[in-house]
Amino acid sequence: MVGWILLGILVLCILWLITIYNGLVTKRNDVQGSWKQIDVQLNRRHDLIPNLVSTVKGALEFEQDTLEKVISARAKAVGATGPRSKAEAENMLTQALGKLFAVMENYPDLKSNQNVMQLQEELTSTENRIAFARQLYNDLVANYRTALQVFPNNIVSSLFNFGTEEYFEAPEATRATPAVSLSLKGK
Amino acid sequence: MPLTFIDIERQKNWRIALFFVVLLLVYLAALAVFGAAFLGVPLGMATRFWVFAGAAALLVAGIHFWFSAYDTVNTVLHSLDARPPDPEDEIHRTLLNIIEEVHVVTGAKRTIQCAVIPSLSLNALAAEDLKGNSLIAITEGLLSRLTRPQIEAVVCHEAHHILSGDCLETTVAASIFGSLSSALEKLRYSSRNRMFSLPAFFLAWLLLQLGYLLNLFISREREYRADAASVRMTRNPLALAETLHLLSRGWRGAGFIGSGFEMLCIVNPRATALDEAEGFLPNLLSTHPPLRRRMDILLGMARVSVAELDRKAALKPSAGQQDAGKRYFAMSPRQQWEGPFALQEMAALPWLSPLSWIAPGEGRTPDRAWNDPLINTIFLHRLNGSEPAPNGYICPTCNQPLVTATYEGTRIYPCSFCAGTLVENARIPRIIARTCSERPCTERVHALARAVLRENQSRRIYQMSSGKSVATLPRLPCPKCKNPMFRGFYSQVHLIEVDRCSYCGLTWFDKDELTMLQCMIENRLAPESVGAA
Repeated sequence: MVGWILLGILVLCILWLITIYNGLVTKRNDVQGSWKQIDVQLNRRHDLIPNLVSTVKGALEFEQDTLEKVISARAKAVGATGPRSKAEAENMLTQALGKLFAVMENYPDLKSNQNVMQLQEELTSTENRIAFARQLYNDLVANYRTALQVFPNNIVSSLFNFGTEEYFEAPEATRATPAVSLSLKGK
Repeated sequence: MPLTFIDIERQKNWRIALFFVVLLLVYLAALAVFGAAFLGVPLGMATRFWVFAGAAALLVAGIHFWFSAYDTVNTVLHSLDARPPDPEDEIHRTLLNIIEEVHVVTGAKRTIQCAVIPSLSLNALAAEDLKGNSLIAITEGLLSRLTRPQIEAVVCHEAHHILSGDCLETTVAASIFGSLSSALEKLRYSSRNRMFSLPAFFLAWLLLQLGYLLNLFISREREYRADAASVRMTRNPLALAETLHLLSRGWRGAGFIGSGFEMLCIVNPRATALDEAEGFLPNLLSTHPPLRRRMDILLGMARVSVAELDRKAALKPSAGQQDAGKRYFAMSPRQQWEGPFALQEMAALPWLSPLSWIAPGEGRTPDRAWNDPLINTIFLHRLNGSEPAPNGYICPTCNQPLVTATYEGTRIYPCSFCAGTLVENARIPRIIARTCSERPCTERVHALARAVLRENQSRRIYQMSSGKSVATLPRLPCPKCKNPMFRGFYSQVHLIEVDRCSYCGLTWFDKDELTMLQCMIENRLAPESVGAA
């Protein structure tokens, strides 16, 4: 009789272990899946930038410095790997693009150019998608991290070597409010 | 623990089951009344009758529930004649992009359809059905008046209704009686046969009252939650506040959006006093919270975001920030906070208008620029520099002095900022009489006048048939006596909405309204001729 009870407890323990293990695996896969989403959107942005640069190059003859900064920031962003270095490179690219858009404001011809307007809309949309994908990713990372650390999951996670996941940090400017310009106009 | 948008639990699905029970009881009661009145069944002891009635009610309620809740999204689409956005159209493409952005939030696990309702009214709605379809629909009128960040705010608000699952219960509640009643209502409006229209109206009315019974289960809180979620997604509370302000002033589609679908909308199409009230009874009966309260909460959130911005600016002081004096943040036309600016710098901003949002430093609630006496001096200065001397009249929307001008040989008082016009009542017939075909109205005004007339016609029919006014809630103050002006159609034939002060004998025309009125007279545009066209 006692043997049966012990066997029952053992089976329950194994089932419980499997549930926790599967829960952690699901959460980890969700995190990795949402990272792919960010990647897709970042690539979309990287693909749009050369188009934008070639469209505005002619009109922005005296702003070559700004354009070069965008191009080099893009090159760095394309080469970056892992959440931390990617976040840094992307933040630099966001800043460079912000500067380019601010400069473009001073060229009425560009502002009324249909192609530029369309590209600008696509880029704005991509920026938003990146922001939303980042929200989703960070929410899922928070969920996963909590699941790793609560008792008794922490025992299972250390048993099976579940590693933690990094947050994708938001750029300085977007953390306060979206698309905020801190500089005085004309300065 | 933070919940992701795909993780939000559908906690309130039990209510959908409750709706079915209500429907079942309604049919059972109807059968009991029929049995007692026409068949003379003694209800107290007829067990066999109850078994039969119960089975029949279950069957009919089941069929009714299935038909009304299974494919509601398509019903809504057809009833409002909503179409998918046109990818060739610039504004529609922006809407499509925004919907794609929302799909990213859901982890691309939900597909939300999007549609544009061909109406000049200002409203948006979300619907979801048991088939698994979900829809966000926005009126053409609202789309054309909103900036990109504002459309984002509206779409995110509606998307939250869908993702949180509260949209499904609202849609089911709305469609059980609403789709039938709004179909009957439409029949009544379009039918010329009075013999048919009267019983149809009674049936529609009865179904609508049953529908309102279900309002008891629809919480007002869900609108606050959707507002909060929209801010969480877009991080731009002011964009949503501005949109709500715009919605509070315009026609929200009463008469066009069927009575049954009211609770699906971002604001109630029928602007009722109940919606603007707070307390136990309004909370119980109304499906939408007061707009003012919603705007107050959003402005409170915007204050927090400005405070954050101010702290960051203090960390990196710029050269211009060293000098003493008050500093302001201002919202640019691209819906971005800019600043901090000194008063002189504010004066130099080309886009600053009396209706711009400004925040005078950290922890202060954003407000319209004209509400700040110091900033207001900028506009006075601009007026004094370029226009004739002011005449004592104040613009009811921008709160700036109106200027005196001559139009069609008579005196009018236009606003230099919002392009509205004040005309003394005695002078309007002169302007109308002097309207002549030698100076034809532009194509834009002509198209606008026709569209406005068509829309206002259905609105007037709604007003006449329901006996309910669809007046907007915050009424504009009279430019002279400051008492609230009456808003209504210019006449029964010229369906242009104007604001009137009968005490001072003044009429206020918003932008384009005066030229539209002239265009209607010049081209003899009357409600019937537009309807027939």
